[in-house]
Amino acid sequence: MVNLEELKKDAKRILQDKKVKYVIGYRRGVDGYEAIPAFFKAPEECDDLVWDPTCIHNLVRFLRDEKVRKDREKEPDKRPVAIIAKGCDTRAINVLLQEQYISREDVFILGISCEETGVIDGKKLRKKIQGKKIKQIDFNGKDGFSVITEEGKTEVAAKDVMAQRCIECISNYPIDHDIFFGEKKKREPENPFDSLDSLQSMPNEKRWAFWKEHLEKCIRCYACRSVCPMCYCDECVVDTISFAVFADTPAEEKANKIKWLEKSPVSSENFVYHLVRAMHLAGRCIDCGECERVCPVDIPLRHLNKFLEKKAKELFDYQAGFDPEAPALISSFKEEDPEDFIR
Amino acid sequence: MEKILQKKSLPKWIEKCASYHIYAPVKKDALWHYNIIDKPADVQLDHPNTVISPKKLIFPLREVFFEYQTDDEDKIEIKEKTPKDAPSVVFGIRPCDARALTLTDKVFQGDFADPYYLKRREMTTLVGLTCNTPPGHNCFCLSVDGSPNSKEGFDILMTDMDDRYHVQFLNKKGQKLMEKAKDLFKTPTEKDRKAAENIWKEAEKKIERQIKNIKTIPQKLKGMFESPLWDQESLHCIRCGICTYLCPTCHCFDINDEVLSSSPSKGKRVRTWDTCQFPDFTMHSSGHNPRGDSASRLRQRIMHKFQYFVTKYKNYQCTGCGRCITKCPVGIDIIDVLEKVRDYGS
Amino acid sequence: MDHKNEYIPKLAEILQIKEEVGGDRAIKTFRMKFIDGNNFSHLCGQCAMLSVFGKGEAMISISSSPDVKDYLQFSILKMGRVTTALHSLSPGDVIGIRGPYGNGFPIEAWKNKNLIFIGGGIGLAPIWSVLQTTLGREKDYGKFTLFYGARSSRDIVFKEELEEIKDKIPVHLSIDVEEPDWKEFVGFVPTNLMEKKPSPNNAIAITCGPPIMIKFVIKNLQDLGFKDEQIYTTVENKMKCGIGKCGRCNIGLHYVCQDGPVYSWAELKELPQEY
Repeated sequence: MVNLEELKKDAKRILQDKKVKYVIGYRRGVDGYEAIPAFFKAPEECDDLVWDPTCIHNLVRFLRDEKVRKDREKEPDKRPVAIIAKGCDTRAINVLLQEQYISREDVFILGISCEETGVIDGKKLRKKIQGKKIKQIDFNGKDGFSVITEEGKTEVAAKDVMAQRCIECISNYPIDHDIFFGEKKKREPENPFDSLDSLQSMPNEKRWAFWKEHLEKCIRCYACRSVCPMCYCDECVVDTISFAVFADTPAEEKANKIKWLEKSPVSSENFVYHLVRAMHLAGRCIDCGECERVCPVDIPLRHLNKFLEKKAKELFDYQAGFDPEAPALISSFKEEDPEDFIR
Repeated sequence: MEKILQKKSLPKWIEKCASYHIYAPVKKDALWHYNIIDKPADVQLDHPNTVISPKKLIFPLREVFFEYQTDDEDKIEIKEKTPKDAPSVVFGIRPCDARALTLTDKVFQGDFADPYYLKRREMTTLVGLTCNTPPGHNCFCLSVDGSPNSKEGFDILMTDMDDRYHVQFLNKKGQKLMEKAKDLFKTPTEKDRKAAENIWKEAEKKIERQIKNIKTIPQKLKGMFESPLWDQESLHCIRCGICTYLCPTCHCFDINDEVLSSSPSKGKRVRTWDTCQFPDFTMHSSGHNPRGDSASRLRQRIMHKFQYFVTKYKNYQCTGCGRCITKCPVGIDIIDVLEKVRDYGS
Repeated sequence: MDHKNEYIPKLAEILQIKEEVGGDRAIKTFRMKFIDGNNFSHLCGQCAMLSVFGKGEAMISISSSPDVKDYLQFSILKMGRVTTALHSLSPGDVIGIRGPYGNGFPIEAWKNKNLIFIGGGIGLAPIWSVLQTTLGREKDYGKFTLFYGARSSRDIVFKEELEEIKDKIPVHLSIDVEEPDWKEFVGFVPTNLMEKKPSPNNAIAITCGPPIMIKFVIKNLQDLGFKDEQIYTTVENKMKCGIGKCGRCNIGLHYVCQDGPVYSWAELKELPQEY
């Protein structure tokens, strides 16, 4: 069992010893359904640190901000940043290391095992307990969570409220860590590609109709891109105005920048945006599920990435984020790679 | 004018309004959206608030301003694309969303009135539904001069009374709809009136979230431009556009020319929603960006809604619908931020 | 109810294009006239939205005087998508114009005062209109002085017009770095200003240029004794609708496209400093 007091103690210690700049962790959400990402700079702030089944966010996203901040400073503070990372989150860190976006010395990983369950999908929980305010919520072994609301304590079955990505999880405890909390109990998913099966069994016309209906809803808020730890490009394919513009960028370069898609949130442009983004994440996505969680119009985005994840496994026996030293899928070639499509 | 409409008569009334396009909240999977209704029976008024406010029916996510075409002699022809005549009725609007339209009205009217917004506004009859219970778990309309029973912005306002609706026809536009099916509407009895008043009274008590002493906030904000509070509160902002896109009072937009490479001699000038929260919103061509960091953008959002708009239009640019709080991916809570502003330094 | 559609540009033909500066920081001066002959009348300091159909719009200051009825003049620095498209056009080509937008310089209130114009780089263009107009009515005003500087002699705009003006009013030119044939001041415009020390008595200073230049010019003018109400500038901001609705140029209570771009320093310092 993860001991929250020990976690708080260690967080305080590394801050007191000035070993890390700050700790990226979680604090309690407003109504208890989803924790809130928080930055702990002083040891006493760590009293507000929480670890419970509502800690669904992938905090690795904030390592991007830290890097951007450091790059702007003339003499940056080279100490690492501590981060609370679940199994999936550590795979995200590994991908960033593999791509040399950050180095291992930049992070101090407080690895937490989800042990025999996972984290909770806030929407499912809200439906299950009819939106009652949550006072406290805890992991309760393999099959459940205990929820204390104003009406008292109740047990909720894991399968009813667990995030779908946890149900399909292949890495329920941290791959790498500086301090490990909990136990290394492996949880084998029944079917790691469960979400895909129902889609893949649809005939093509039905599948096209499925995606057309969902992608028409997209309002291009870019929350999916903003929350993804792997979408760190300064210059993203969707922007009509590139971020990478400086005072001495020639006018012709700005004028000739290719507009891959229009800003209009219409079907055709939405398709381009989502499919290109999925392609750019092929072999990199570790299925933290954040993109789907944050989408305000409930587009089942995980399915797009899951498909490519399955392909990566089938064609190249590759799974993202397990080995930071391994060559990245898209940028490497092995002799045994399939060649049957080359004519 | 007050009337009573039996719930079972609602589809009949809508049928009589066949000359209008009918919009109402429709449930798709787990979400409610305003959509056009084909069958009168499809209008179900038992919904929580929609994800995207009915603002999208007056101020759409995408609007073509005009089409242009260049001929062989390089002559340019412009074809204006103002909205066609299409009288519409939108059912099931919550008071916060209608009040929000009265605020966006102030922006789109005035000097250089916006013909696209105003034409749709004039063509659309807004039918509201009072919130007998809060439609969202972060509602705070009472704190920002609103109410679950507010009539502001509506042409018609309905209250659900179990087997019947109490219907208020607030102006001529609304009354036109009543005249389409006069016999369906009865005069309310004293019992009806008392029941409605009771529902309204109880509804206000059910709004849980509030911002105490909000009146002190606009003045407090005036001195907080350089405050470190903005940095603190925006540390975990991921710079998506959810808060502002879902906000019923936000009105920022972008204008772009769209040309298909297959037909380069013609194109469209298109307006799309935009947000001051995107990093490139204020960026100049030269690369200079006055609001290049999250802190300045959060500050802009709060200052614009609770200080600049207040000074200009004597209203908070917020109607307390709570969507930004519910949908923020990282739990940034505008009520929490405002309370911190209010209490800052004390 | 029919509302005039302010988003629809009126077609205008390019009469003349003059290359002021070539190469990297190219500047061209365009003279345009509405195809239907009905020009609008504008105030000095106002801007117009120029449309290149298919590329977009850009808000550019009108640098011709309102007293000139035959054409509208714009001096445009090649900076991005729309301005590059404008630079590739030729006389006879048709673009769209809508406007005029914004406020103007309060030239009526300046009567009988001494006017000191301080421009840098392309910044001379937004104040050229007010310079030409007041100079055209010189009996109504006091003494005129012009300070103007650019990065190099190549980057100077309105070269011929400046030669003509030199006969009428004192013109203090400067370039940033020494050049073999340059006989005038070498250094930045704010420094040149401190050298020549124009008097604040009964004077109005009008300045425009790169943000950093404006910042130091204002500081130096204050050091010379100019009050905040005596200093005027015109602010640049990214704009899209030009009519105070899209939110892009919003600063504090103002929309720069409507409440600006002309501001006295007394007014501008009250706004949030984010422009």
